[in-house]
Amino acid sequence: MGSARAVIVSMLPGIGSAVAVTVYVILLLAVESQAAIAALLAAGVIAVLAAVRFGGMARIGRSFAEREDALHVVIVLAVLALTGFFYEDHFVLLLVATVIIYVIACLGLNLQFGYAGMLNFAGAAFFGVGCYTAAVLTRNTPMPHLLILVAGGVMAAVIGSLLILPVLRTRSHYSAVVTIAFALLFKIFLEVNDTLGGPQGLRVDGMNVLGWEFNDNIEIGDDFEVAFYVNYIVVGLIVLALAFTFVRRLERSWVGLNLDAIRLDETAAACFGLNITRWKITAFTLGNFLIGVAGALYAMMLGFIAPTNFTFGDSLILVSIVLLGGIGNPWGLVVATTILIILPEKLQVIQEYRFLLFGAMVILILLFRPEGLLPRPLRTYLPGWQPK
Amino acid sequence: MDVGLFGQYVMNGLMLGMMYALVAVGFTLYFGVLDVINFSHGDVLTVGAFAGLATYLGLSEIGVSWAPAQLAGVLVVATVCMAVLGAAIAKYLVLPLKAAPPLNTLLLTLMLGTVLHEAIRLFYPLGANPQRFPPLLPTQAYSFGNFTLRIDNVMLLLAGLGVIVGIHLVINKTKLGLAIRAVAQDEETAKTMGINFTLIVLITFAIGSGLAAFAGILHGLYYGEINFAMGLLLGVIGFSSAIVGGLGNIYGAIIGGFLFAALQTIGVVAMPFPSAYKDVFAFTVIILIMAWRPTGLISEKISERV
Amino acid sequence: MTGIRFRHVAVFAAALALGLAPAAAGAKEKVKVGFIGPLTGGTSSNGIGGRNSVDLVVRLRNADPKAKYEYELIVLDDECKPNIGVQAATKLGANKDVIAAATHYCSAVAISTVDVYHKFGLPIIVWGAVLPDITYGNTYKEVHRVNGTMINQNETAAKFMTGLGYKTWAIIHDTTDYGKGHNKYFTQYVTENGGKILGRFGVTSDQQDFLAELTKIKSLNPDVLYFGGLTPIGVRIRAQMEKLGLKAQFQGTSGIVSDTFLKGSGPLAEGVLAFREGAPTEKLPGGKYFLEQYNKQGYSDPPEAYGAFAFTAMTLILDTIEAVGPDRKKVRKALNEVKGANAVDSITGKVAFDDHGQNTIAVITKYVAQDGKWKVWEDSDYAKGLRKLKGK
Repeated sequence: MGSARAVIVSMLPGIGSAVAVTVYVILLLAVESQAAIAALLAAGVIAVLAAVRFGGMARIGRSFAEREDALHVVIVLAVLALTGFFYEDHFVLLLVATVIIYVIACLGLNLQFGYAGMLNFAGAAFFGVGCYTAAVLTRNTPMPHLLILVAGGVMAAVIGSLLILPVLRTRSHYSAVVTIAFALLFKIFLEVNDTLGGPQGLRVDGMNVLGWEFNDNIEIGDDFEVAFYVNYIVVGLIVLALAFTFVRRLERSWVGLNLDAIRLDETAAACFGLNITRWKITAFTLGNFLIGVAGALYAMMLGFIAPTNFTFGDSLILVSIVLLGGIGNPWGLVVATTILIILPEKLQVIQEYRFLLFGAMVILILLFRPEGLLPRPLRTYLPGWQPK
Repeated sequence: MDVGLFGQYVMNGLMLGMMYALVAVGFTLYFGVLDVINFSHGDVLTVGAFAGLATYLGLSEIGVSWAPAQLAGVLVVATVCMAVLGAAIAKYLVLPLKAAPPLNTLLLTLMLGTVLHEAIRLFYPLGANPQRFPPLLPTQAYSFGNFTLRIDNVMLLLAGLGVIVGIHLVINKTKLGLAIRAVAQDEETAKTMGINFTLIVLITFAIGSGLAAFAGILHGLYYGEINFAMGLLLGVIGFSSAIVGGLGNIYGAIIGGFLFAALQTIGVVAMPFPSAYKDVFAFTVIILIMAWRPTGLISEKISERV
Repeated sequence: MTGIRFRHVAVFAAALALGLAPAAAGAKEKVKVGFIGPLTGGTSSNGIGGRNSVDLVVRLRNADPKAKYEYELIVLDDECKPNIGVQAATKLGANKDVIAAATHYCSAVAISTVDVYHKFGLPIIVWGAVLPDITYGNTYKEVHRVNGTMINQNETAAKFMTGLGYKTWAIIHDTTDYGKGHNKYFTQYVTENGGKILGRFGVTSDQQDFLAELTKIKSLNPDVLYFGGLTPIGVRIRAQMEKLGLKAQFQGTSGIVSDTFLKGSGPLAEGVLAFREGAPTEKLPGGKYFLEQYNKQGYSDPPEAYGAFAFTAMTLILDTIEAVGPDRKKVRKALNEVKGANAVDSITGKVAFDDHGQNTIAVITKYVAQDGKWKVWEDSDYAKGLRKLKGK
């Protein structure tokens, strides 16, 4: 394992980069002039390219691979620092919370697509199942709100199980189409179904845990007020940490190995005695569960949901995030989500063109860098082990 | 239900089925020659319809006001432009990914569809609004009780039928058709027989996209209105039709198209729930059919390796 | 943190400077106000008309040397979709620099966003949405409305239509709260006046094909087809009625009083009836002034049916800010006091809010589409008997 000194040295690149990125994101969120934002973005791109050119990226990557758990804590601290900095700026905190929730949902998609190779084009639909579950449960039942998060996930998994048979019976793009049909069907169903609010949508109560109202600003003393989104950031971070740890452990376990084998060659995997059906069902269900949990949290934060939240276009954005981040790499998701959510909000010029730009970007990635921004690294079972 | 009303439903259903079938044939052609799914097909249809509308406006601008001439201009410009666009899509986006996993192509074409309809929304003048499509066909109507027959509907139906028959003849009776069928059956063998594979793929994509443009104009003439988002649902429906019929089989696609329209009509007429649920009903049945026959009703022959 | 602190200090300093030296007019304090409306999608012509009208108020005020502040207008698009509207409202509400806003044309959006304004304490004035519940469904002190509600609109419509001798109706309405509201109030008033509803059909707001519903309606053979919804599907339904040879008279609501409906329907618009609260813009007390100023700015789109109300809403907001200063709570309080003896004059007539923030608009205008224009019924060829409505 090495001495304490060695541990610290190996963590330095990770900590350094985390601090640098945090400061950078704070700057990006704080400035308002479009010129300054553009300059910052250009600087960021140059810095990353320089880091790649001079091998800094590789060192950071190794540092993360070696001291993963410790650096997770650093990242959580960084997000909390960011939150503290903007404690009363509602809009920035809303963005941060949205990024966290989207990362949770994309972790679910990553489980399906990145590990088991099952493309799910109904991500937004399962997200929607979580949202509507939260809406119905908060307003009609006294169920504790933390349990509602779980219920949202369970509901998404249950609805997803309706699709399991057609998805399993069909192969590759045929099964992708089953999910596409479901995504459209789900939105149309919500629009024509009156009991769930129809196109008008539904109100959702804010989260309330043990009497603590999440949708009220936190007032300390007379003048000091903290935006209520901080509540959701904290809960979101906790859920994210759990989900992230879970997904990482799963990936490194024999379950992850099995999923990889199935993705790479279903036939060969079957020949080696893997139960393909079982593992596909596992990945699909777990993935939908995570998406549903994220949906439930999102609904409670937003306070209002409507069918147009869950269009096919939104499903495509989720898939784009997974692809842009680097299929199968949870860290890539964090980077990709941050870019895709925050950039259009800050750079007003591109706001209107965002779908167009996302589309073009994904096409370019598929043509020229199909492995994404942060490609999934090789498995390492021993910290610090390097291929010789 | 009285006969007139029944006739009206059948007529509505036939029109829808014709449009779906035209879209589905495109999907099935692409899949036949290249084993890919081109999900931008629905949005190519939209672009085709807008190209037609722009042509009409251009023609009116330069003083051509005789409806048949306008119609001919609209049809020719839209089909030719889309045929070129289709071939370009095949050459620069689909063929380069030939060696990649099929899902990459699926994703790429989905995104291309987004880019196409977003481009219309953003760059066509007032593109976010629904656009009025001019009635270029005579609109006399004959009523028989509850059944109203409009001349333009009959003409659209006949035109669609004509195009489908034409495609059938091209595929089955010409050398080009023979080449397309050969490539579809076995790419390697076709190549060794001296067929220019890339050229055939490009021609197939051109034919499919031209058909989409035709369907788009049909849509415009029938509903009198087009909008930037209409392609997505039409694309998915056309694709579902092709799948249900069995990808790679033209007759399957046509049957699938009419089947989907029939399902929607049944959803309206014969089901106990409100008519708004017709799409939910139709898609549910499609998913069920796919669970039952994973490769469609008229099955594509695939060799399972296990 | 320094950035934000610094901003506060700067604002404070500016306030001080203003207080001490009002003569320093060159350095007016900047105040942000908001506008939300549908700028894209099928109802965008109304949204853009509203946006221009609000923009006009801000421009006129900024050109006025007597104004205490310099105003900046933040414009957001709600796309006429409830969830997008909630996002836009959250954006405005969360931005502490925004003092007040004129918001929403679409009722479905407005009814969903009132909670957000209440949560953030942002005073708003609705400029176009007509659903009663936006003001009457809550007791939020933040929410006001200068235009009327759909209740009076439907009462007048029912009386007028039965007066013309129509007996039976079929209703198509969209399934948002907006369409459902129209369905409810029109049914209530038309039954009171002896009319009969033969069937009603809820449709979604982006449905394409209405032939199924219309075929059913055809077999019911009503005198009138009542449509409770907005322009985009109104255009489609009108066109598809023709496909089936449906001969019923087409009756719409304020939701189709737009140039887009006329353009989209072309010759088919002829003889379509619609109703809207408030007098036609050119007949308003300040209508001439408004149209003159509007045309002077050279906007490429017309103010549309609700532009005058948007103008009134923003004028009221800016007047209030001038009077009490740029502070959300003070502005909210001042707006709540606009009632009774405190009623204010505007280009749309007197504005006075009741306890729910609702302004009273007594006049309902009846429109009929004639030669590609919305004509006031009384001035139209139809009222004079030169042309005939369907079934007459």
